[in-house]
Amino acid sequence: MTTVSPGSPIWQAALDAPRHDLSQVLDLELSGSLNVRRTVLRTLEVTRSRFADWAVVALADPRSRTLTLHGGDDLRSTVTVHHDSPASLLTQVIQSGQHELLSVDVDSAPFDGLSALIPHQGLRDEAAALRPADVLSLPLTARGASLGALILVRRAGRGFDETDVGLLAQLAARAALALDSAAIYEEHARITRVLEENLRPPALPVVPGVELATSFRSSAEHLEIGGDFYDVHGEDDDWLLVLGDVCGKGVDAAVLNSRARQSIRTAARFHRSPGQILGTLNEVIYDESSDRFVTVVCARLRPRPDGSVSVTVAVAGHPAPLVVRADGTVEQPAVSGRLAGAIRHSDGYQEVTFDIAPGDALVMFSDGIYEARGDGGLYGMDRLRDVLGAYAGAGAIAICEAVEQDVVEHLGGLGHDDMTALVVSPRAVRPVRS
Amino acid sequence: MTMTSVGDIERFDTAVASADTDGAIDVVEDLLRLGVDPVTVMVDVIAPVQARVGRRWQDGTWSVAQEHAATTVAVSALEAVSRATRPAGGARGRVVIACAEREWHAVPAMIVAGALRAEGWQITLLGASTPTARLSRYLQDLGPDVTAVSCSVAAGLPNARGFIEASTTAGIPVLAGGAAFGPDDRRARALGATAWAHDARGATEAIAGLPTVVEAVPALPAEVTREVAALRTAHRDLVLDAATHAAAAGADDPDRSLRDALDQAMHAVTGAVLTSDERLLTETSGWTSDVLRARGHRDADAIVHSALAHALRDYPLAAGLVRRHWPGATS
Repeated sequence: MTTVSPGSPIWQAALDAPRHDLSQVLDLELSGSLNVRRTVLRTLEVTRSRFADWAVVALADPRSRTLTLHGGDDLRSTVTVHHDSPASLLTQVIQSGQHELLSVDVDSAPFDGLSALIPHQGLRDEAAALRPADVLSLPLTARGASLGALILVRRAGRGFDETDVGLLAQLAARAALALDSAAIYEEHARITRVLEENLRPPALPVVPGVELATSFRSSAEHLEIGGDFYDVHGEDDDWLLVLGDVCGKGVDAAVLNSRARQSIRTAARFHRSPGQILGTLNEVIYDESSDRFVTVVCARLRPRPDGSVSVTVAVAGHPAPLVVRADGTVEQPAVSGRLAGAIRHSDGYQEVTFDIAPGDALVMFSDGIYEARGDGGLYGMDRLRDVLGAYAGAGAIAICEAVEQDVVEHLGGLGHDDMTALVVSPRAVRPVRS
Repeated sequence: MTMTSVGDIERFDTAVASADTDGAIDVVEDLLRLGVDPVTVMVDVIAPVQARVGRRWQDGTWSVAQEHAATTVAVSALEAVSRATRPAGGARGRVVIACAEREWHAVPAMIVAGALRAEGWQITLLGASTPTARLSRYLQDLGPDVTAVSCSVAAGLPNARGFIEASTTAGIPVLAGGAAFGPDDRRARALGATAWAHDARGATEAIAGLPTVVEAVPALPAEVTREVAALRTAHRDLVLDAATHAAAAGADDPDRSLRDALDQAMHAVTGAVLTSDERLLTETSGWTSDVLRARGHRDADAIVHSALAHALRDYPLAAGLVRRHWPGATS
């Protein structure tokens, strides 16, 4: 641990440290975040703890001709100022890429030097309180572009000698590179977010009389989209539940699944029968030039006043849902149909109709669940049935969470395909509260 | 401030125990209407009932499905409190709250989220078993002021360390809390967390004193990371080996409760190696011995001790901890 002699500023110790150690530390610390704000905070923290008594990071936005000034006495403070005076010394620093160094003594006309480098009154006051002060402004330049400037102040006439300026120029170059990377990341992240918002399944509606739950884990753990999709739409006492899986993973698959989801929504405006909807889906997404396909399970729910629900199911190349009865038995209705989008056919899609009552649950799932492979082998349908049996009567939310937890624990940290479950359970009819 | 009474807790407990979501929401909405502070409703009514739910499973009164169904009722009640809370607009900064991967207890994190939201923090709650890659993406996208990690079971501790590395590498301070961190800040500090809180109220206090920027946590000692990695890789086999040993010693396990207890115990040993906190073994052994006694196993401590010692014979740090600190040694 470095000791600091009394009276010397804390940053003196950093300047005295071996140069190669310092640059290693700076590289690690400054490149740790891909977020502009966090990288600014890091830059300010590193600067203030090691090199100066006061610091501001000024980031230029050429489109709005503004400068955002981060830091000062309070690291987290942020102010935006107009920046249209090309004559200012700060503008010169940013445009020329050359640093400027000023000394401001106690008696000098108030703020002469400071106003040339610090374009904000409140921040100038903070810096003025440190007089006699030395102000160093370093350009933040990365990948051929000017991002702004780093403005440092040392108090009590301690000054910046040539070695200090050389070292701080290196710090500014590293900080600029980190800030530029973060800005690029943020721009891409913003695009990804917007796409994700549009590609991921919408929030579940409230369906009267039933409890609904879903779980989705993307094969790309950091994404919220993938090849699996689900959707719930309808009104009053007639609802459609859909769960599907397009071939492929990640963003490519998400684009196709969004198309499939929209096609089903559109088809459902014209017919309510799951078999007909899947027939239409097959027509719509079939594309001779492509070998892409979709598997779908589609269930029409019609809740009745007594709490029971009539369910009609059709599948396109997808496993039929499981029905968990209140007593723990697990059934799988016999229904099958060709996957959608692969070939034109007029075979139609078979339907099966049955009832579920309060205490029962209908469980739709993607193959990522039963094909999850952990150290102990495949998860498998048997284990899925076992978990469902153990959770009979626990309600859709608890069942859905139990399945997700059991599969993820089975994986034991290993990678997986998209995993999706959609569970519905009829609610017990509640006596009216008196 | 309006206080809650034992009667409120009992009323809420009755609703939770009968999986009556609407009834539970009625209880909390009544309290809020009477002017009870939302944090009080969460910390003094919902949290203690949730603790009872856990104990009912532990002592064998409830099945895991009943425990789970009751928990979903608590979650709905928390959501109702959250809807009724008028947050102060996020003026105090942004907090990302998550449960480390393999931590499935989302309720404590929800309570902390609610308490911080009421204090004016802007909250992003990532929920149960969040992969570190997902947390990292949120940290980069949002650039929060604080990461809060909740961990109730020892199995989550290694991934909590992953969260702490991800967060501090980005300069973001980490507040750690939850039952798996134990009764004080020792485990949290060992993992490199910036601060520790005992409960949701403690979290609202601790978060106010966090630094704006922290340095990346230093690496843990090489012998620790090596053995923890080996224990995690071999976890499943070690549990099987321990269970086989216990069966050979005559322990019958029809409902797999012994195997589940050994699984938890193995996670606790790994957590104790990771944090150099042997108390994790005593805490977990108290829990496994309750669970096993409730399910008809006699002499649970000795069975588990012997099974762990056998399975961990090639793991020096782990074996040493079990020998010294897991109760029930026969010698």
